[in-house]
Amino acid sequence: MTPLPVLLPGKPALAGSAREGWREFFSGGVLVAVLAALAISILAGEARAQPGIGASPGVLAILLKWSPLIFQGFLFNLMVSVLSMLAGTALGLWLGLGRVSQFVALRRASGGVIQFFRNAPWLVLLFYCMFLLPFSITLPFATVPLPDAAKAVIGLSLPVMANVAEIVRGGVGSIPLEQWESGEALAFSRSQIMWMVILPQCLRRMIPPWMNLYAILTMSTTLISVVGIQDSMTLARAALVAEGRTELFIPMYLMLLSWFFLYCYPIARWTTVLERRFRVRV
Amino acid sequence: MERIADFFRWLNDAHGVNLSIFYDSLDRSRFLEGLWTTVELSTICTLLSLVIGVVGAWLQGARFGPTRGLVQAYIQFFRNTPPLVQLFFFYFAVGNELPHVLDQHGMLVPPISNVGWAVLSLSLFAGAFNIEIFRAGIEAVPRAMVEAAESLGYSRLGVYRHVLLPLAFRISLPALNNNLVNLVKTTTLAYAIAVPELLYAASQIWSEELNVREMMNVLLVTYVALIAVLVAIMGRWERALHIPGYSP
Amino acid sequence: MLGVFTRAALACVLLAGWSAAPARAEDTLEKIKQHGTIVVGVKNDYKPWGFVDPSGKIVGMEIDLAEDVAKRLGVKLELIPVTGANRMEFLNQGRIDLILATMGDTPERRKVVGMIEPNYYAGATNVLAPKSAQLKQWADLKGRKLCAVQGAYYNRRVSQLYGPDLVVFPAVPEAMNALQGGNCVGFLFDDTLIVSTLSAGDPKWQDYEMPLVSEDPQAWAMGVRLSDLEAPFGGFLKKLSIEWHKTGTLVELEKKWGIKPSPFLQEMHDKYKGS
Repeated sequence: MTPLPVLLPGKPALAGSAREGWREFFSGGVLVAVLAALAISILAGEARAQPGIGASPGVLAILLKWSPLIFQGFLFNLMVSVLSMLAGTALGLWLGLGRVSQFVALRRASGGVIQFFRNAPWLVLLFYCMFLLPFSITLPFATVPLPDAAKAVIGLSLPVMANVAEIVRGGVGSIPLEQWESGEALAFSRSQIMWMVILPQCLRRMIPPWMNLYAILTMSTTLISVVGIQDSMTLARAALVAEGRTELFIPMYLMLLSWFFLYCYPIARWTTVLERRFRVRV
Repeated sequence: MERIADFFRWLNDAHGVNLSIFYDSLDRSRFLEGLWTTVELSTICTLLSLVIGVVGAWLQGARFGPTRGLVQAYIQFFRNTPPLVQLFFFYFAVGNELPHVLDQHGMLVPPISNVGWAVLSLSLFAGAFNIEIFRAGIEAVPRAMVEAAESLGYSRLGVYRHVLLPLAFRISLPALNNNLVNLVKTTTLAYAIAVPELLYAASQIWSEELNVREMMNVLLVTYVALIAVLVAIMGRWERALHIPGYSP
Repeated sequence: MLGVFTRAALACVLLAGWSAAPARAEDTLEKIKQHGTIVVGVKNDYKPWGFVDPSGKIVGMEIDLAEDVAKRLGVKLELIPVTGANRMEFLNQGRIDLILATMGDTPERRKVVGMIEPNYYAGATNVLAPKSAQLKQWADLKGRKLCAVQGAYYNRRVSQLYGPDLVVFPAVPEAMNALQGGNCVGFLFDDTLIVSTLSAGDPKWQDYEMPLVSEDPQAWAMGVRLSDLEAPFGGFLKKLSIEWHKTGTLVELEKKWGIKPSPFLQEMHDKYKGS
């Protein structure tokens, strides 16, 4: 930093390489802090465990006993998140295109749908779908069963659809008008411009907020435990009731928190890296 | 008033559409109390999370390394873990471990009730996001303003209070409003720890009256309307506080 | 653009067709035999009638009964965990064919689901409370915080009669955890679960008791759709229920799962033994 009033060269464009991302991840003392908290709680639990009751196993042993089952529930959470994301993205893309369409009626209708699903709480939408969707769809040629998990996926994909539509709208809106005009000058039709010129450019810009949405969705999959679907939360609670020991509460919940953390934190870091890399350079 | 009640009673008897909150005074009072609790919960959590956001953004600029690390750890923890699990962790696990106090009946109860834990957990959750939002707002304030203030003799705290924060607030208002809307939606999670907010009240009603379909529709419409009103008010405020010529 | 509209129109037509389709009015027994599976709704948080073991399987006395039903029908058994708040919805939607989930047989519920008689068990309402609470009678609950579970039929009655401050949780584990944390003075539930929790010998429940007199005895019943009550499926279950009492199957299962022998079962067994 020179005290002279000269214009210093601007900061170099951040590399945003994957390796830099990993270094940040590991150097984040956050991970260490979370695991340390988990370890401390387990040790505290062990220390408080009833002494003298011969066969009473330690806290760590109980956690390990139930972990495989709860982990299966966690994988179920992840599966629901992936399916909801795919469904929501597919629907949201169309809804977003409707939002920027040239037909006023379509724009207004899409805007209304987006506002509705963005305003509704995710848990209420989940309840709604769980209770009011039928258990099977009777098509003319077959009956398609709709299991609970499918209803949950539908319930979660609705807010995702609305948010993806907003991301698409933001992405399309960030492309300068010149692109549209150049397309017109080259005699492209509007839909050709949209699909061949605009959307490929938007894709990169839409990825960071899209990944952010995925992280939020993954964390919201725990809501399905409130509507009665077996996932990692319900299994953890069932395990706590089956064991019935108070000193298990903190370690069990910390374990669950750390699993979600270990899954979502890298996504968050990667999102930051990508944001920097895909930053719009003018 | 009585005619409205009669109409809905007829609707139930003739068509099986049971909207008991309109004709049954107990259900109606429960529903309205739930709505009021949701509003109260949202307001308190918003204010608390704003305080956390301001203090956290200030601490993020601290010269002492571990302070910055602590704030960063707090943010990453609350942003990357599910709010429902956080709520459960606080109410069941942490609440259990805290030293109990004697209540009026001479029983040992935890010092913080379920409503208290809901407020705490949701405020911490929203506060983490607010710190990030304020940080982005602060970074958007031109360095020249800060330097000018420093050259006028403001201390670091003075610059933060009188120059940075007001501007950062106006710049980050859209993002803050977005966070507020999310907070209102997240209050529904308190249902899982039996906080008597709107979703809880509705579920009580449909468990007893067995009118799930109708209550679900009422609930959806109420929440969407509530948040639409909030968005409209916030939009007005945003436009009023918009910094002319500044578009992020 | 036209492609988008055609696709949207097709989706609307399908949606309309789906919502307008009438409910299948097939006999449940035939449907079960055709599919080769019976879907039964059971509890997974009500030890030992229905709970989860470490491998994730749902086990318990009611599961044994469900397995008997499936065996006699010669079909496979599929278990769906349900709660008090959603079991009747699931049944009426067709998600499950039979409710075997500690369901109390009340007149209001009889309007919504068909209850199979004779009832296979009976419970009553009581409160699990720490000894330090020193609750002596139901009136002591006035104004106190009482943990309860969603969908229980006695919640309204108790709250209207005795005026406690009811704190209702979505499921049993949360309510029990809250009780253990001291968040309420007691846990309002069926006395069968309370008795089985206290008699399991877990040291944690040593300081707890069931202080009040059990009220409002309620028989439990298997639940089927109202249309099935007089149909072959209902008839089969009614006969099966009689046979369970006659042969003492229920009394044996009680012993197997360590449930305190209930006078109701003994009465029913004696009543049907001779017939």
